[in-house]
Amino acid sequence: MSNVAVIGWSASAIGAVQSKPDDALHTLEHEMLAPVIIDAISKAGVDRSQVQSAIFTVPRPYTMQKYLHTFMIGQLRLACSGTVMEVMGNGMTGALAFDQACAEIQLGRAEVALAVGINMETATSASVHMMESMRATGDVDFQSIAGISPISWYAMDAMRYMHDFGATPEQLAAVAVKNRHNASLNPLAQFRDPITIDDVLNARRIVEPLGLLDVPGRSDGAACIVLATEAVARSTGKPFALLRGRGFSHDGSHQIGDRYSDITALPAAMQAGAFAMKQAGVTARDIDVAELYAPCTIVEILVSEALGFFERGKGGLAALAGETGLQGKIPLSTSGGLTSRGHPAYVTSLYNIGELYDQLTGNAGARQVANARLGLSSGELGNYNAALVHILEGIS
Amino acid sequence: MTLSIIPYEGKRPFPPRVTPLTVDFWQPLRDGVWQSTACRNCDQLTFPPKKICPFCWSDDMEWRPLAAEGRLYSWTKVHAAPAAFRAQAPYYVGIVDLSDGVRLACPVLPSEEQLPSCGSSVKMVVLGAEDGPLFAAEISE
Repeated sequence: MSNVAVIGWSASAIGAVQSKPDDALHTLEHEMLAPVIIDAISKAGVDRSQVQSAIFTVPRPYTMQKYLHTFMIGQLRLACSGTVMEVMGNGMTGALAFDQACAEIQLGRAEVALAVGINMETATSASVHMMESMRATGDVDFQSIAGISPISWYAMDAMRYMHDFGATPEQLAAVAVKNRHNASLNPLAQFRDPITIDDVLNARRIVEPLGLLDVPGRSDGAACIVLATEAVARSTGKPFALLRGRGFSHDGSHQIGDRYSDITALPAAMQAGAFAMKQAGVTARDIDVAELYAPCTIVEILVSEALGFFERGKGGLAALAGETGLQGKIPLSTSGGLTSRGHPAYVTSLYNIGELYDQLTGNAGARQVANARLGLSSGELGNYNAALVHILEGIS
Repeated sequence: MTLSIIPYEGKRPFPPRVTPLTVDFWQPLRDGVWQSTACRNCDQLTFPPKKICPFCWSDDMEWRPLAAEGRLYSWTKVHAAPAAFRAQAPYYVGIVDLSDGVRLACPVLPSEEQLPSCGSSVKMVVLGAEDGPLFAAEISE
């Protein structure tokens, strides 16, 4: 089985660019994605003829062009003999595209593979979008009927976490402030103006106890990760990031299941993280930087505990104490995270992997974590009912 | 024991689809009958009603009463609501642990003096809308 390396990437700056159906001039997915793919392959230092697999994230339902994956292949005349496909896994979509692209290399189907996609959603209002997304994050006939929006589940995590551990809104807010600072240093980030804890606490309430700055905005974005065999990676003569561990776990329930359980423990994240670390032969203490799939401030805290960076119930205190900042014990969401870097949901994890690549190859500019060698990313679906964790090591 | 029925103005914003199985949940619920399926093979109660037991995969299921009381495990007040629910916002939803071991999510009705909090005692009620019932939890403590 070949070792898998990430050898380059490219992405659009995240923002709100999707055109409305009646606009005179449109922003179309293929026009936005094509230059991103070409730039990623160019930065990776390989030739287009070496690309044999392209794993696409499924577009949002608002994308008019169907079968965008094969349409894009046609736009770029990118003939492939490995696999061309779209993957879908709700919030886990980007992480699964990356995971499948890793498998293409490991199985010997491709020497170079792409994990690539575009998420366009901002032309649809949040309240209309939620009519769609709430059908994914609950039982349509027994939960969505109550108006339980997707981030309501995270809000209920936050309520319970505060109840069980005495965590405070300030601790949650510290995550948002830290992520905004990181985003201010990231040219790809959507929200870059610095904010304070008071700004977060005083922002309009969205789903209590979460306010506008505790939750992600709406985002459009396109990203392409280039993966290769270790041999190809070495032949480029450039630093790269080697896949060292991978773990997946599904806890067997959807959102909350129908039995008592500790919803803030995130057992799937705990197990997927443990699998990945075991495969990599490392512990949480060895990880230098992590890009977490954490749509809300509370989620970053809960995942930081489930992955073993902090003890149960201590993640909020750690965030407030600055332990997750760029100079902290374990820098989290150095890109600015989902709340500030932006959250084009189906490609969010591609941006996270890209940020790890930048950190592990010394390309993170003002956000660079000193001596970052091991990086971890997590993807999720549901209320972390399933988690997918990858660990990468920088090789120079 | 049947649940109290609280009048609910108008129609349900996002009504459930009813199946040949769940018609026996939704129709009796109109009259306050609160029940779900249980497995005759392994004795596990499940919610929502199911044809197959998720625990042992037996299809030998029967209807059994659900507990009418429980505790609020968690809750939130939704200000930014999905389009169909905007007219009602802000509103409360929560996760309820029934005393028989079943967990579910539903609307939460605060009482005049009692806002929701984790651990609040709740009793299940029926919201009798024009087009059919919904189940909800009322703060009882």
